[in-house]
Amino acid sequence: MERNGMTAAQGSSDPPPLRILGIAGSLREGSYNRALLRAAQEGAPPGMEISVHDIAPIPFYNADVEARGDPEPVVAFKAAIRAAGGLLIATPEYNHGVPGVLKNALDWASRPHRASALDCKPVAIMGATAGRGSTFQAQAQLREALVYTGSCTLAQPELSLSRAGAVLDAAGRLTDSDTRVALRELLEAFAEWVQVIHSGEGGRYQARHARLTSDQEGRPRAS
Amino acid sequence: MDVAVFVGSLRREAFSGKVARALVELAPEPLRLEIVPIGQLPLYNQDHDDDGHPPDAYTVFRHRVKAADAVLFVTPEHNRSVPAALKNAIDVGSRPYGQSAWDGKAGAIVSISPGHIGGFGANHHLRQSLVRRSSIAVHLPQGGHQQGEPTCLLGAEASAIEERRIRMS
Repeated sequence: MERNGMTAAQGSSDPPPLRILGIAGSLREGSYNRALLRAAQEGAPPGMEISVHDIAPIPFYNADVEARGDPEPVVAFKAAIRAAGGLLIATPEYNHGVPGVLKNALDWASRPHRASALDCKPVAIMGATAGRGSTFQAQAQLREALVYTGSCTLAQPELSLSRAGAVLDAAGRLTDSDTRVALRELLEAFAEWVQVIHSGEGGRYQARHARLTSDQEGRPRAS
Repeated sequence: MDVAVFVGSLRREAFSGKVARALVELAPEPLRLEIVPIGQLPLYNQDHDDDGHPPDAYTVFRHRVKAADAVLFVTPEHNRSVPAALKNAIDVGSRPYGQSAWDGKAGAIVSISPGHIGGFGANHHLRQSLVRRSSIAVHLPQGGHQQGEPTCLLGAEASAIEERRIRMS
């Protein structure tokens, strides 16, 4: 029985692994954000397992399509989010905002409103860009959207990698030690954050929130 | 004056589509509005441009935007921000790097919501994208920003209200 990405310990003293789902906001094969996710997978703290989900097959959100039933890539994406303890997003910045590619995946995942896979889901955000600027405006827009989806987004530490080409080698591996440390600190904080959200006061908040916002069949309550 | 209109919702009965069609009818001379479809654009992937073989849909769209004198966005709000299909269209139009089809266009935004805040989050985030460097001068900061129930604005009375809003802006 798995719930919220936590597998019940079976006679072992090892804590269950924390499963994190990673998604990248760029579809480019050599994407710096995909590289950042790979670096996160390799540098994850003990007990954290990060899997990366490809959002490229998800069609545009369209309420007419949704009314006929979620397309298969959407079903798979929602299931992957629900099975994970937390969501790790690596995003570039397109035109001072969130890439349409990424927003699309999150818009699907946000449905139905207030009873969605994103509701109360712990989220961490990071971003990489080839340029000298940052990805903080895209990250800020993402945080706003994730407020509306009822997600629990980690505030600090923030991570925005500028001139990403300079800290990644030809194979797309993160070579810069300072960035590796920053990434590790983000993941360690996220691991703690996920624990807080899923247990103790956070868990009680989740349960209360779910009662307030859903009827018995998990549908969103009309306000 | 050729104004390319982009509708943020892909739903057939979308309020934004209805408002956009009303605006096409109501546009005064010399404005000539045309709705440019965006739902057929593949999700933006820079590899397509880097390979030198972008999808035809990208090329046709970029040419259409470049040909326009001005652009008008008519959009709902999704999760307090811009609907993905519309953001994708902006992303596609803005590339390849240095060849943005949006450069120097006059633009305006109409945001729509069934609630009472008129899609302010989408309007605000869209504006952030459009002011990127010299991309777009937003000439109508409050243009047609609708509040209240769109259904009330789309019947016979809608034309009068819309017309008044357009004259105000």
